[in-house]
Amino acid sequence: MISHADTIAMNACLWADVCIVGGGAAGISLALSLSGQGLKIVVLESGEMREHAATQALYAGEVADEKLHSPPDKYRQRRLGGSTAIWGGRCVPFDPIDFEKRAWLSNSGWPISYEDLLPFYPQANTLSEAGRFSYDANEALGADAPPMFRGFDSDVVRTDSLERFSCPTNFGTRYARRLKVAPDIHVLLGANCTDIGLEARTRAVDELEVKTLAGRRFRVAVRAAVLATGGLETARLLLASRSGAPAGIGNEHDVVGRYYMCHIAGNVGTLVVRGAPADVRHGYEITPEGIYARRRLGIAPQAQREHGLTNAVARLHFPRITDPRHRNGVLSGLFLARRFISYEYAKRLNDGAAPTAPVYARHLLNVVSDPIDTSAFLAHWLARRTLAQRKFPSVILRNRSNRFSLEMHAEQIPSAASHVALTDRMDPLGMPQLRVDWRYSQADINAVRRMLDVMAAEFERSGVAQLDYDRDTLEDDLMRFGAYGGHHIGTARMGDDPRTSVVDADCRVHSLRNLYVAGSAVFPTSSQANPTLTLVALSLRLGRHLAKTLGRERAPQTVQAIAAPAEVQDERMAA
Amino acid sequence: MNGPMRVLVLGGTGYIGTRLCERLAATSWATPDCASSRHVVGNGVRVDTTDLASLVYALHGVDAVVNCVAGNRRAIAEGAKALVLACIETGCPRIVHLSSMSVYGPREGAVRDDAATDPSLGWYARAKCEAEHCMTAFARAGGTAIVLRPGCVWGPGSQLWVGRIARYLNAHRLGDLGAAGDGWSNLVHVDNVCDAIEAALQLPESPGRVRAYNLAAPDSPRWNEYFVDLALAIGATPVRRISQLQLRLDAWLGGPPLKVAQTAFAKLGRRPARVPDPLPPNLVGLWERHLRLESPGAERDLGVRWTPYGTGLTQSAQWVREGAIHA
Repeated sequence: MISHADTIAMNACLWADVCIVGGGAAGISLALSLSGQGLKIVVLESGEMREHAATQALYAGEVADEKLHSPPDKYRQRRLGGSTAIWGGRCVPFDPIDFEKRAWLSNSGWPISYEDLLPFYPQANTLSEAGRFSYDANEALGADAPPMFRGFDSDVVRTDSLERFSCPTNFGTRYARRLKVAPDIHVLLGANCTDIGLEARTRAVDELEVKTLAGRRFRVAVRAAVLATGGLETARLLLASRSGAPAGIGNEHDVVGRYYMCHIAGNVGTLVVRGAPADVRHGYEITPEGIYARRRLGIAPQAQREHGLTNAVARLHFPRITDPRHRNGVLSGLFLARRFISYEYAKRLNDGAAPTAPVYARHLLNVVSDPIDTSAFLAHWLARRTLAQRKFPSVILRNRSNRFSLEMHAEQIPSAASHVALTDRMDPLGMPQLRVDWRYSQADINAVRRMLDVMAAEFERSGVAQLDYDRDTLEDDLMRFGAYGGHHIGTARMGDDPRTSVVDADCRVHSLRNLYVAGSAVFPTSSQANPTLTLVALSLRLGRHLAKTLGRERAPQTVQAIAAPAEVQDERMAA
Repeated sequence: MNGPMRVLVLGGTGYIGTRLCERLAATSWATPDCASSRHVVGNGVRVDTTDLASLVYALHGVDAVVNCVAGNRRAIAEGAKALVLACIETGCPRIVHLSSMSVYGPREGAVRDDAATDPSLGWYARAKCEAEHCMTAFARAGGTAIVLRPGCVWGPGSQLWVGRIARYLNAHRLGDLGAAGDGWSNLVHVDNVCDAIEAALQLPESPGRVRAYNLAAPDSPRWNEYFVDLALAIGATPVRRISQLQLRLDAWLGGPPLKVAQTAFAKLGRRPARVPDPLPPNLVGLWERHLRLESPGAERDLGVRWTPYGTGLTQSAQWVREGAIHA
């Protein structure tokens, strides 16, 4: 059932076995996985079915350096489906090495292994509408599929790992009907959790405070609560819930909000491939299930250990769009149209300096002098992207010259100094706003540098290509647009030690019996992969844990005690 | 009853009826009379299932009837009425009646055998509900009536749920439908339907009440999963993502002329397979409907052990690959 929180009686107390705060990819996946197991599930979604300006404004906050990190209300959507309403759809699983404690990377290591998460990836892939859980090009595309570079064979540089693309699927619209039909799920729209109430004696959450923008207030008494509000908002809610924990919930050791990670990303270098352009596969393939998939360059785990690398990938990319010297009508067309493109997708079309009139003129000349390519691109874009349900994932140019830049996407070394914290400014619901202080380190840059060196050496050895990059400008190239937008990771990290982590291997807040976190906030490290697929898989794993735990336990005494007082209005869901 | 049970199978040349007659003929406890209103195969009999006299004639000496009749409203509803009257007149004590999940109306979610019926889902549902009411009347008159409500009956040889789907997939008119294909398929293997019918024929007599059983395999997937699996298995790749708009246009604009053309070809004695299958609008509704049939009674009372989905898929895909889908 889906209804609006404004229909709940003022000061009522609802009851749920599991109350999930947040109806994005994590919350929806978790709710669906819990359905049909004899549990009552309430999902508190702050937003509506569509974007709602006043609700979206609740994300407003500060950033320490706008050049390094987007404002907190960008790259996020406060609505049913969450940020899947605007995501790019790239699905990639984490690698086994991501879960290992890597001596050369401080604060690395998960308390679970890749094998612990593996059983949940196929279903995560299905929910994300990314086809089969098959990320090896030979397996997914068949042994006859053309390689990335004909004649290139390396044990160090891998070219057979794939990224797959979701439609991109908006979890809110795609799964609304499942949520409506499920008799044991009650999604409340417009419902903002503003405080987590603790029962001190049992070290447990007893109820969640809920407010709506229209002024309605009520509570949800729970057997278990799950925060699935994303990497930024989860930390905000934990830190702001100070009624039972002065430093914020789970923050006994000042870890909540720290170790905040995004990805180190940017276009670097020039890769010149020898031979015919037809021998290079730089674009998208289509798998038998009809999924767009693309090969990437990565470094084999053994070589990562040997060279002390972070986990990273590189994609074959076109030159910097903003620089008209590329003489490409399509890229110049994109540059000129950037004002009509959303903030999130246009960000990399604005690289700081305001374009001058001659730069505009050069771009315009590129468009005019390249009419065939530009028209073909527009036709393809219209048919395969604008009008298609499964959208062509990104701009791919025809390879004429065998010259590419490398689009890097690298993990960031976890650091307590990179953090989010509360400010004194309040939102309309009385919640303190967030200040984002994302930081990277020279170690992050140096790890990418070493990776590029390893790749350059391998290409040189093979004779297939030559990779050059400017060592002096590498940091600028990687930080030109700041942190990769939308990947908010690590602010309630998972670990065995409460002094350096917030949740345990089951995603349960160390200090509480029944409060859990779903989403990328719990990732201790960020991998080369985009976070969505893994946060869905982790949510499904949490679902299994909760079903097992709550199914085993009898309804606790505390819930019965809460339900007893006369002023409590039991709004248990009707079947 | 001396000797094997004599079972009249109405609709005996249809998909389920044919398979059932083959199986009953192979048993020592039953002898099937394969009846059809259209034509007669082997030792079968020709019966006008809406004609009381024709039915009375066919029912002499029959111990049980299995009603697999498909067709239009008249064949389903009036046929059931005539059958009940004929059984009462001839003293035939048992009817196993094949109904449909459509009797549950537009309801969504999990539906068990004892859920209330609802005829509001079009002429087919109305006819099926009317037929079930006739079975209730038969039980009240002292007969034993067992109603089976299968989901979508599939397996090798199923034109409706394998052959037709494969043709849509090969033509890229069907694929991954997103939310429009998120409904439960409620597939049930034809062998499991026959298992249930055989068990229903041997249930102890229960005059006075109708026993109704849903038939859908618990592991039957959502439609999208079935479409993609079948497409991969028959090589209809790459699977397309089909928009709801395309699906609706295909059904509402393409459907009527294709249906007319198909009928015209059939009348001219040409193979209708030359004309693409029309996409009936009710299929579009079915594929997005979140109805999940639960079949605990079939397991408990009829002892049905479901054919795994993977097995049904392998068998069905092999049948398609052998080129039999236009047969």
